[in-house]
Parts: sequence; C-alpha cells; structure tokens
Amino acid sequence: MTLGTFIIVSVIKIVIALFVLLTGVAYTVWLERKLVGRIQNRWGPTRVGPFGLLQPLADGAKFLFKEDITPPHVYKPLYIAAPMIAMIFAVTSMAVIPIGDWVTVAGVHTPLQITDVNIGLLIILGITSIGVYGIALAGWASNSKYSLLGGLRATAQMISYEVALGLSLVGVLILSGTFSLRGIVDAQAGTWWGWLPKWNFFQGQFVAFFVYLMAAFAETNRVPFDLPEAETELVAGYHTEYSAMKFAMFFMAEYANMFTVACLASLLFLGGWHGPLFGPTWLQEILPVFWFALRVFAFIFLYIWIRGTLPRFRYDQLMKFGWKVLLPLAVANLVITGLVVALRA
Amino acid sequence: MPGAISQWFSAGDYLLALPMILLSIFALGILLIDLMLPPEWKSINAWTAGIGLAFSTAAVIRIHLAYARAGQGVLSYTGFMGSMMVDRFAIYFFYLFLVGAGIAILMSAHYLEIERENHGEFYALILFSVVGMMCMAAGFDIVLIFIGLELMAISTYVLVGFLRSDRRSNEAALKYLLLGAFSSGIFAYGLSLLYGLTGSTNLQLIGEHLATHMRENPHDPIAILALVTTSTGLFFKIAAIPFHQWAPDAYEGAPTSITGFMSVAVKAAGWAMLLRIFLSGLYPMRPIYVPLLVFVAIATMTGANLAALTQNNLKRLLAYSSIAHVGYMLLGLIAGSSTTPSATGIQGILVYLLVYTFMNLGAFAVITSLRRRDVIGDEIDDIAGLITRAPAEAVLMLIFLLSLAGIPPLAGFYGKYFIFLSLIETGHYQLAAVAVLYAVFGLYYYMRIANAMFMRKAVDTRPVTLSPAMATALAITGIATVGIGIFPDLFIRAAGWSLSIAQPLQLTSLFH
Amino acid sequence: MPQNYVPIFLFMGVAFAIPAVTLVLFKLVRPENPHKTKLMPYECGITPLDDARGRYTVRFYIVAILFVVFDVETIFLLPWAVRFRWLGKFGLLEMGIFLGILIVGYIWIWKKGALEWV
Repeated sequence: MTLGTFIIVSVIKIVIALFVLLTGVAYTVWLERKLVGRIQNRWGPTRVGPFGLLQPLADGAKFLFKEDITPPHVYKPLYIAAPMIAMIFAVTSMAVIPIGDWVTVAGVHTPLQITDVNIGLLIILGITSIGVYGIALAGWASNSKYSLLGGLRATAQMISYEVALGLSLVGVLILSGTFSLRGIVDAQAGTWWGWLPKWNFFQGQFVAFFVYLMAAFAETNRVPFDLPEAETELVAGYHTEYSAMKFAMFFMAEYANMFTVACLASLLFLGGWHGPLFGPTWLQEILPVFWFALRVFAFIFLYIWIRGTLPRFRYDQLMKFGWKVLLPLAVANLVITGLVVALRA
Repeated sequence: MPGAISQWFSAGDYLLALPMILLSIFALGILLIDLMLPPEWKSINAWTAGIGLAFSTAAVIRIHLAYARAGQGVLSYTGFMGSMMVDRFAIYFFYLFLVGAGIAILMSAHYLEIERENHGEFYALILFSVVGMMCMAAGFDIVLIFIGLELMAISTYVLVGFLRSDRRSNEAALKYLLLGAFSSGIFAYGLSLLYGLTGSTNLQLIGEHLATHMRENPHDPIAILALVTTSTGLFFKIAAIPFHQWAPDAYEGAPTSITGFMSVAVKAAGWAMLLRIFLSGLYPMRPIYVPLLVFVAIATMTGANLAALTQNNLKRLLAYSSIAHVGYMLLGLIAGSSTTPSATGIQGILVYLLVYTFMNLGAFAVITSLRRRDVIGDEIDDIAGLITRAPAEAVLMLIFLLSLAGIPPLAGFYGKYFIFLSLIETGHYQLAAVAVLYAVFGLYYYMRIANAMFMRKAVDTRPVTLSPAMATALAITGIATVGIGIFPDLFIRAAGWSLSIAQPLQLTSLFH
Repeated sequence: MPQNYVPIFLFMGVAFAIPAVTLVLFKLVRPENPHKTKLMPYECGITPLDDARGRYTVRFYIVAILFVVFDVETIFLLPWAVRFRWLGKFGLLEMGIFLGILIVGYIWIWKKGALEWV
C-alpha cells in the first residue's frame, strides 16, 4: 500500500488502540478493586452505577478537577516531565504488539498491529528500559529525602529484574529465530497429535515462562514486589509530592505496563492468538482477537489474584531473589535450550 | 565443526591467539582460585600468574619457531580474517610485555603483603592487561586495536587504584580513569573518521585508500581532523606533552610495582599501537604528521626535563623522566617517517623500549623495596644514605640511573645511540643537538638521586630487607642493564629482525 | 522498511498529546489554593530538617554497574539467539566461551559479597 494509506490506517489504529488501552486501564482498576474486595470478603465499589461500573469515570473526573499542588522546592522541568515519561513509554509498547492475524477491512488488507517492525521484541525491551527513567527522575526531582530514596530503591529493583527478563527471552528467540512478535507467534502455530498446541511453553520454555512472569511482576512494581508502592502507603515514595493528574499518570503507567506484560506473556509463551477456529469467515477473523483477549484477561486476573493473596517481599529478599535466583535460572534455561536445539539439528 | 560461520575461522587463527587465550584462562583461574584461598596461602596467586606467563611465553616461542622455520618465505601470519597479524614486530612486543609483567609480579608479591592488599585480583588484572597489550600489538584492524586498548586501560585503572585505603591511590586512579576515558573517546572518534574516509577498518586497506585520497586532495580537512584526533589518543597513552597530565599523578599514587609496570609495559603497548597506526594506516599522511611530531617531541622533551629538575618525590621524578624518554623516542619516529625514511629510527625505538623495560623496572624495584609498614618510601629523603643501609641496592640504583641517563657501556646508551644516529642519517641536525642537550639535563636529576644515596646521611637507618622475589627481580634487571650494555649486538639484531630488515634500509614495505 | 517505524513515533506523539492537552485544558477549571503547610515536603508531619541532596549508600551504584555489565551480556546474547541455527555448533561453542567468562565474573561477584542486600 502507498505511504499515505499506510499513515492514515496507522493513525486510525493508533486512535483505536489508545482508546481501548486507556479504557482498559481504567476498568482494570475497577476490576482490581472488585476482585481484591471479594477476596477480602467485601463488596468493592457498588454505588456509582450498576456494580460500580461508573467508578472509573468518577475517579477520572476527580483527578481532573483536583487541585494540582506543585510544591516550590521541586525541580520543575523534571517534575513535570517524569510522569509523562513514565506514561508515554508505558503506553508506546502497544505500538508493536499484534492482537490477531491479518484482516481485510473496507478493502484494506492490514495486520491487527499498529506496525510490524522486524525487531519488535527489542523495541519493547528498549521502551520498558526507558520507562525506568520516569521513576528515577520523579524521585530525584521531588527534592525530598523520602522521594529520592523511594525512587532509587524502585529503580534498583527494576533494573535488577530487567536482566533476568532479558535473559529469559533468549530461549524463546532461539526457538523462533526472529525478533518480530508476529513471527514469534507464527512459529507457535499448529498442534502436536491434534490436541497439544505448539506453544513455546510446551516446547520447553516453562522455566523461562516462570522467570519471565516473576521478573515482569517486579518490573511493574506489583505484589509481591511492590515495595516502592508500599512505601507510599507506609511513609512516602517517589510519588509523594505528586497530586491529582500527575499522580494519576503514574498509575496509568503502571497498569499499562501490566497490560504490556500480559500481552507479551501471551504472545511469547502461550501462542498469541492461536486457538480453535470455527464458523463463518467473518467470525474466523474475529476469533483470534477473542482468544488473545482471553489470554490477556487471564494474566490480568492472575495479577489481581496474587495481589489479593500474597504478602510483599522485604527489599533485601527482593534483590537477593532477582540476582541470585532468577538470573542463574534464566542463564541455565538459555544454555540448556541452546544445547538441545543444537544437538537436535 | 558445522555451522556456516566456521568457514571463516581456522585452527591457525587460534594458534596465533594462543598466547592471549592462555593468559586469559590463567587470569580467570586466579579469580576463581583466590576465592577459595585462606589468607596465608595467597602467594599461590603470584605463582599461578607466573606459570601463566610461562605458558604464554611458550606459545609465543612456538609462533617464533614457526617464523624461524619458514625463513624469509613468509612475511607475516595473519588470522581472524586479517584483523590480527602476529608478525615479528608483534612477537618482539609480546616478549617485552611478558618480561615486563613477570618482573612486575616479582616486585609485587612482598609489596602487597606490606600494603595489606594481597588480593588475587591484582595478578588477574595484570594478566588481563597483558592480554589487552597483546591485542594492541598484534592488531591490524582498528577495532581489535581499540578493544585491546580498552582492555589494557581498564585493567590498569583498577590496578592504579588498588590501594583502597590510600587516598592518593584513589585520586590517581580517578584522574587516570577520567582522562583515559576522554582520550579513548577522542581516539575512537578519530578511528571512525578514518573508517568513514576509507571505508575499511583494516590498517593496510586504510593505508592504501588514504594514499589515493591524499593524492587527490592533499589538504583535506577531514583527513587532518582524523589524524589529529587519532594522534591525541595515541599520544595520551604514551604520555607525550600536552597529553601527559595524568602521568605524574597516576605514577605517584599507584602502588609502586604498578607504576613500574605502567611505565614499561603500558608504554610499550602504546608505542606498538602508535607505530602500527602511524606506519601502516596513516603512512600516506607523512608530510602532515611529521611537523606535528616535531612539535610534540620538542614540547615533550622540554617540559618533562624541566619539570623533573625540581621534583622531590622519586616516583614523580621518574614519571617525568619517563615522559622525557618518550620525547626521545618520538625523535626516532620522526626520523623513520621523514622524506627519506631511515629504518634505524624505528629500530632505535624498539631497542630503546627493550632497554627501557629493564632499567626502569629496576629503578622502580629499588623504590618498591624501600616500602615498609610506616614509611611510603618514595621521597628523596627516604632513599638518602642508601649506601650505608643496603650497599648492593645503592650500586644497582646507580647503574639504573646511569643507564637512564644514557651513559655507555650501560644499556641505555644504545637506545639513545640509534635514535641520534637515525636523526643524523636523515639530516635533522638541530633536533639531534636539542636532544643531546636535554640528555644532559637528564643527567642532573638522575645524579641528584645518586647524590642523595651516596653523599647524604641516612634519615631512616633501618636496614632494607629484600624478599627473594624482589632480589630476583633486581638481579634480572641489573644483569640485563649491564649485559645489554656490554653485549648489545644480539638485541640490536633482534630489533632489526622484528622489522624484517637485515641492515638499515629504506623503509619500503614495512609491515606488509 | 524504515517507514514501519513512523507509526511508533506517531503513537508517542498522540500519547504525549492526550495528557498534555488535558493538563493544560483542565487548568482552567482546577482550584488554586496554595497554603504553607500544603507546600512543604512531606515528612510525616514534622518540619523537614535539611535538603534532600545529601549522600546515600554506595550500594545503588554497584547495582547500576552490575546491571550495565549483565545488560550488555544480554545485548550480545539476543542477536546470537536469533541467528542460532545459522551459526551452528561452532557459534554455540563461541557463545559458550563468552558466557563462561561472564559466569566466572558472576561467581566472583557473588563470593565477594557484591550481591548482598545489593
């Protein structure tokens, strides 16, 4: 297709994706409040609309209309830039995540992905690395001891687990032979013996799957690795000095990161959008999206479930786990995967 | 082994890289063994390092024998797709590095115990830095040379700062690191410009393309910029003025055995890299870089000799004397690159580096032996009256100092002799006169030290005890300094052999 | 194809525009009541003692340096993994040597206590 068509189609997809993502983020908050409430034997939001479904709207309105206190002792440029950095780069990972196969809409044959670069996985790794800056700069710019230390601890945690995250992906790459996310999913098509799907999880990457999942939990600062946030509840943290919309941006960034992790885990280890296809042609084009959404929802549910159930790690336990347990496991996984693939070839 | 990539690598490549591979294995082994050693067995690290150097020397001898067997038929063995050329030039420098590292390790064993920093990483870092030096000397591709440079430099940064509780050591390491990092950056920029101008990273191809490029536009500003930035990095490594600022502080703060190692092996590696790049890659730019060299050489000799006159700290004084010697060697390079080049100049540089290794290490060995638990031992007051406390050491130090000043029949004379001979051969009479004049300056500050040793009363009258390793180091360097001075012919022929020339010839096909 | 990267930048642009516009737009309706206690840095209710730009433990720098080393290792491993089949057993051996050296380093830092608390 011509460059002009490509840009227009991309912009349409961007708008749709952003809309869906931001709404999804808002309703993930609702889901979390409901589910954690139920786990803790209480209702969660029920008043604002049926089943509390309008609660996110009320919260959004509150954030927008609340007074935005900008303390005078902060370093203004970075203070304003930090939450934006965190949010923009958390959301941008969506740009290369495919949610389904190619479709033909209004005569345009386009992939269900904003853009299919052939180094998609590398881009996502890079973007999540930049997201760490948002937190570090927020802690520093706030010019308050608690913020600084909270920001530093959060940054140290995130970069420690980023190593394990990157290494756990090497096994997947050995099996798939491409960085492109669409290519990785395509390499997991088909089934063995008609029923066992050829997902990477079953092709031997189960250790890598668990390492990836745990590293991702730590990267997104979620329980049981949410000490940077718990510091918020206990004392302070990198977003002490933030209020209203900027505070909301940090939380949007966190939930967007959760989404990215869920999408990546589905794509890399659980076969993406592959699932049984049946019915008429139009249904067969929609079904992959449904299977993908099912997997993503499963991971989000897992996130919330763990949040309601597990206590959090102490900081030294957290660091020890990242460096002394996950890293050797990831390296062992990649060595064994390499040996098996090389010896079988 | 199967795999599409193995078509470009052969077993011969790994034979050429064997000295470096063996040293790396031993260095990694020291790191692991050191974790398991109880404190009283720490000397095993020094022994392991020594054995590693011996194995590596055996590998170098093996390559040397291959050259001897092949005779004049083969000029050089290249490996790894032409990026590593372990030719006679590289072998000569390999021997120099290994000898320098060996003597430095002999000097360090007892010294580290006194400083209470007896860790195995010291020896591992020395071995790693020798690996880096070997990559610099054998590298024929600017990428390999840069990797070797960084490996050597980073290991040396840590070694300079090894005395963690001594503030001077920390400061020296930090200064060296910062200036080294900046100059490596500028050097890399110059190399990238060379790549951009010529489209290749192999030094021979760079030379050929630059030759055609310079014929077309002789005053191309980009080429001049490439030359200037590349030479900045090179001059930093050999500590030529105006890039010498790190040297006095780094030499003074570092542990003395490392100062010896730096002034000898690191400098030799810097010269190997400089000669490779100037005589292979940048050779077509001779008319431009010779005036630059003249300026730097004169500035170096002047600045260093004048600064050394007033030093009271022995290590700083020897640092400035080091810089002055670099000035003399630069004169040899000028002679080797002038319009009618003289191979004697380059040969002079190689001989100078050889004799310099021994005499400078000897001088630093003497200073190291003065270190005791409460006295640092690097001021002139500490060496006063050495003749009464340790007569053998005082005499040896006198020999080293006279050799540094260039007095026959000691080794240092031959270094200066060939440099000045080459200057006169190529008609640089004024430069030769200036150099001889500065050599007299040198005599003054060396004799100041000798004066303190022989004529002054000892401030600290405790006798100096030597560990066996230190005694061995002093013996080796002393015998070498005197021996090379009395029987120089073997070593001069070795330097000539390393340049693949039988007698002083016009530099026609050097390094190809 | 380089034009595939343009949508990523478009995405970033749109993602930047949305909060920026909302922040600026809603500044018109937001209340603005600055008060001394609201503007002080939060320190559990007591008045803050000194500036935040003090010194903090060096362990953070050690973590950062270790992260750089292992991240560069990961960067080298990723392209090798993608071209794994083409590189064959020889490539596996070469990368194994690279990993081996890094594992020696990892064991060293473990035993030296650089990973404690970290």
